[in-house]
Amino acid sequence: MKSLKEIQDEFQRGILAGDDAILANVNDSSKEERKVLFGVYRNAYVARLAEILGEDYEQVHGYLGDRAFANLVKAYIAGNPSDQRSARWFGRHMPAFIAKSRTFADHPEVAELAALEKALADAFDGPDAEPLHLSDLAEVPPDAWPDLVFTTHPTAIRLTFATNAAELWTALKNEADPVKPMKLPDPQALLVWREGFMARFKPLSTEEAMMWDEAAKGVRFSVLCEMVATFAGEDEAELRAATYLKGWIDMSMLAGWSLDPREPRPSVSR
Amino acid sequence: MITEKPPYLGFGLGLRPQHYDEILDGNPAIDWFEVISENYMIEGGQPLYMLDRIRERYPIVMHGVSLSIASTAPFDMDYLRALKGLAGRLQPKWISDHLCWTGVHGVNLHDLLPIPYTQEALDHVVDRVNYVQDFLGRRFTIENVSTYVTFAQSEMTEWEFVNELARRTGCWLLFDVNNVYVSAFNHGFSAIDFLQGMPRDQVVQFHVAGHSHEETHIIDTHDHPVCDEVWDFYREAVRYFGPVSTMIERDDNIPPLAELVEELDHARSIAGEVLGGASRLVAAE
Repeated sequence: MKSLKEIQDEFQRGILAGDDAILANVNDSSKEERKVLFGVYRNAYVARLAEILGEDYEQVHGYLGDRAFANLVKAYIAGNPSDQRSARWFGRHMPAFIAKSRTFADHPEVAELAALEKALADAFDGPDAEPLHLSDLAEVPPDAWPDLVFTTHPTAIRLTFATNAAELWTALKNEADPVKPMKLPDPQALLVWREGFMARFKPLSTEEAMMWDEAAKGVRFSVLCEMVATFAGEDEAELRAATYLKGWIDMSMLAGWSLDPREPRPSVSR
Repeated sequence: MITEKPPYLGFGLGLRPQHYDEILDGNPAIDWFEVISENYMIEGGQPLYMLDRIRERYPIVMHGVSLSIASTAPFDMDYLRALKGLAGRLQPKWISDHLCWTGVHGVNLHDLLPIPYTQEALDHVVDRVNYVQDFLGRRFTIENVSTYVTFAQSEMTEWEFVNELARRTGCWLLFDVNNVYVSAFNHGFSAIDFLQGMPRDQVVQFHVAGHSHEETHIIDTHDHPVCDEVWDFYREAVRYFGPVSTMIERDDNIPPLAELVEELDHARSIAGEVLGGASRLVAAE
């Protein structure tokens, strides 16, 4: 008699690979043939995952239309058996899958659209953190400002797009007139994060993106100001840096501050 | 090990995100909520926040879909730790999952797959239930699933299997009224035989749900209102088991909360007719 392990191996191959060996182990019912009955499991597997991908990549679906999206989903399911306890993460490889797909070789905006949807979903249920408020910085002694380092919100995700996928996303989401996809003259920096319960994204200027990326690495405020000065001129560099910083705080993109331990300042204590 | 029988909670619903605001803004006539464990094994954001608020007001039970208790693959220990962590946060009245497997070789098929009812499978599942109970420090609750195939290898009926599993592990049982109805139709057995084969004292919860009829077989889709035949069988279940915490399970085509509350009221009225005042005895939190 076949062992439980052998039966489960065959059953799984029957679902994933369409192998009919399992049918020798299951019975016809009085009303239906075994192939139809086993087919309930085969169909359910694909249908369930396709439904999940449709929810996860709603704007990619809207952009591609039903038929092309159905083909994409079918290929993804066939190539990516789930190894996750929750189907929530089944579609996580979709941006890379599209980027590698020959079907979309001339449409880089599709993978970027998927990357934006994935980042928004990840930000939606990512880790909680109390956002930094402007009033928190009142605790910082004025002479300690140069040594300030910031903790970015744990849901923050930086993306850089070669196409106008962010604009496409917005038009699709708002059911606005279709936007023509295009490659941008310069890459577009985006930040995705959660503000309150809402996952959001914001385009960043090249200068702001540079400062954000360095801040996220723990570079202290005085060095951030120097970098901004080097990037686009010393004129009002500190003001520009302070303006970016205030914007991040106003939009809950930061979660805390500390003083750079590499520059001990014995006169300052938190 | 917590071995005390969980309390009777009355009439509950599966918690679905569509209803968070209605639940928190109003005071719907719902005694308790069941949450899908995996949906809250996340790091933060709105779902966990809402769940914590609802937990402040209602008793919660946890219901999983990925434990894969009957799989021949090793347990996913990260999953078990996450389950235990969530239980620590929610302090559920009980924790359930299905008598099924969901995959082998590291794959999750995201389905509740059937097993052959053999002595070998029984010994295997008994060991696994015992392991989970030791790990969680409490008795676990096992639910019967809807199935579409039976195996040539089976040596006993499903209810004999479940009964023996319950006897050997002491686990609690979630008696899914709809699943018994569906499997009985699909495989041509008597739902009443299944019912009467259950150990009365170990059943702590009922699921009642809708399904899709495909002429030669029924598929357990949870996307329809509960049909009359399932309500009739629910009546039999209440008659046999007495007051058991009852829940309407809807996972697709989710209607406004008020519609589900109406269905729940129907369950209440059936239990009321069968049991008189006993069904209104809700244990204090």
